[in-house]
Amino acid sequence: MRADPDTTLKCLVIRGGTPWRVRCGTPAGGVRCHDGGMTTDPTSPPPGADRRLVRRRRGSVVAGVATGLAEHLRIDVRIVRVVLVVLNLLFGVGLLAYGLLWVLTPADAESSNNPRRLPVQFLLVGAALVALGGLGVTRQAALPDVLRPALPVLAVAVGAVIAWSDVDTFERHAWLGRGAGRWMIPRLVAGAALAATGFVVLFTSGQGLALAWDVAVATAAVLAGLGLVLTPWVAGFWRRYEREQAARIRETERADIAAHLHDSVLQTLALIQRTEDGAKAARLARAQERELRAWLYGGVTEEADTLAAAATRVTHEVEDVHGTPVSLVVTGDRPLDDDGEALVRALREALLNAVRHGAPPVSAYVEIGADEAEAFVRDHGPGFDPDDVAPDRLGVRESIVGRMTRHGGSAAVRRLEEGTEISLRMPFRELPQERAETPETPATPETPTSEPPNAPENPGGPAPVTPGVAPGVTPGVPDPQTLTTTAQEDRR
Amino acid sequence: MTQPSDPSPATIRLVLVDDHRMFRSGVKSELVDELGQGLDVVGEAATVEEAVAVITQQRPDVVLLDVHLPGGDGRGGADVLAACRPLLMAAESPVRFLALSVSDAAEDVIAVIRAGARGYVTKTISPSDLVAAIRRVADGDAVFSPRLAGFVLDAFGTTAGEVAEIDEELDRLSVREREVMRLIARGYQYKEVAKELFISIKTVETHVSSVLRKLQLSSRHELTAWAMHRRLV
Repeated sequence: MRADPDTTLKCLVIRGGTPWRVRCGTPAGGVRCHDGGMTTDPTSPPPGADRRLVRRRRGSVVAGVATGLAEHLRIDVRIVRVVLVVLNLLFGVGLLAYGLLWVLTPADAESSNNPRRLPVQFLLVGAALVALGGLGVTRQAALPDVLRPALPVLAVAVGAVIAWSDVDTFERHAWLGRGAGRWMIPRLVAGAALAATGFVVLFTSGQGLALAWDVAVATAAVLAGLGLVLTPWVAGFWRRYEREQAARIRETERADIAAHLHDSVLQTLALIQRTEDGAKAARLARAQERELRAWLYGGVTEEADTLAAAATRVTHEVEDVHGTPVSLVVTGDRPLDDDGEALVRALREALLNAVRHGAPPVSAYVEIGADEAEAFVRDHGPGFDPDDVAPDRLGVRESIVGRMTRHGGSAAVRRLEEGTEISLRMPFRELPQERAETPETPATPETPTSEPPNAPENPGGPAPVTPGVAPGVTPGVPDPQTLTTTAQEDRR
Repeated sequence: MTQPSDPSPATIRLVLVDDHRMFRSGVKSELVDELGQGLDVVGEAATVEEAVAVITQQRPDVVLLDVHLPGGDGRGGADVLAACRPLLMAAESPVRFLALSVSDAAEDVIAVIRAGARGYVTKTISPSDLVAAIRRVADGDAVFSPRLAGFVLDAFGTTAGEVAEIDEELDRLSVREREVMRLIARGYQYKEVAKELFISIKTVETHVSSVLRKLQLSSRHELTAWAMHRRLV
């Protein structure tokens, strides 16, 4: 909402100077009056009815003053409007009151995003101009004496109101020309023209258009002279202002960058200098590099709730824990669901397996397609002999293969000439009709049953089942290229 | 990457373009000390203007080009490539560029590739891999890192299942090209890709070069957006 000092100022003015029972505060609801003025004023509305005087944009015609006032005083808005209009006949008192209220009361919460109430204002402008034109032609002879000075004043006031009506809704910089509404300029021009006409009529009252012309020429001459004198000065001032602005922005940016580098890079460098442990230094450097890279180039934010972000997160986790760099490539993305979560956990296990037992470089590739995701983790170790399985390698079978299978996916371990590759595949069962085709069957991986429960997802046919082998794992990782004979089944 | 089975007989003349002197001398000593047979560093440059001058004067076989460079129009390596366009296109002994950067930003990578570089590797590459990449580029082949392959798969909508009906289609990858790119993204070397797909290394190189050509010429909107962003179009 709008700035507090602003509101507080209005609060003081109104409480000090006008008979209306006005309490101010931010439209969002917090009462900001400095004297806490909810209960001190005897003329306050009854407790419980917190009806602050605010301008209501909803149902308003010009600025919402009448609507707000009607709501505040609990009377029909039409009465308020009629009273205001009638008051105008007394030298524009109604208009004055309206203007004052406009300036002094805050707008309600809706106002800032309310669309412009443009046609009404332009109708007003048009009507006022027509009236003034009529006056000029008739030389005010037909008007009663009381109205003669009032009408030009009215014109000036309406013009000013129109010209300035947006100041309260636009921020100052917007008003100065950047990002202002497209009606801003026409409205300013119309308002200014109207006010100028009012002035002209006021000062040439009864003298006719000839004098008005003279006055206009003289005024224009004076203004032109003033402009000539002042333009270089104003231009210089403006340039200086812009320069200062730019310098300030640069300074702020520099300070931001300095602060960031100090908190991140400098601290890490200090830590690295003090550490004797080469592996730890490498780990620190790698983590810092990642952080700086993310800051400089953006990319996948690890906090996001998507599959790509989660995969990135666990990869960095594994890097941090073991100090082995993992080169990760992710393509595509989708929101994270239970199956995706399972894939990410299996990926984490696969990565841990690679950094523990394999040899660097370790690389991971995660491809997230429309109806399935695949992940590949590869290391360059000597590979392992299936007959010589360390006890902790059972983790591979349980936490990778078992987990994938339970969620309807599959996993396979292949031995390459150089290194090992674990591939994971997870089809997504999102659409209802697909769900009907592939019924959700939570399978326990230990059961050496004769038929894998999720056979429909393995078009290659039932997996060759040996006792202790997770069902659903077939040599056929769903890539067409895994036809090679180097493919080695997870027979451990 | 291991060295190709038939090492090029001629010495490869090399120019290093990088604004970090330490990096230049590091690369130089690595190349000369360990695997220097057949490699000769004939020039160095630290800015766009210096680079263009040195390359025009020396006409090297391969330029190792940093993506981020001071000078020029502020587009770094892409400016060098633009200024050396006639040398790139020369029918006889064209100058080939291999981009080298710490940046992982897709737009940086795509920008230099679209400006004419024949490959992209990150500065963390091992010396032997770098030598292999230089030889490959000198032979006129393309060098794709796993990350660049990932960008390609993303940018051509391959992840979303888009596949070219005919191989010549510029805006999509063919089935085979997609397979090659996926294997490279998985960290496979060219020879491993070849073995995996039962094709020759030469065929892999053909596929990769064809992907590079598509990357440079395609008007796919993602690529165009990147190029627009870098004021390349």
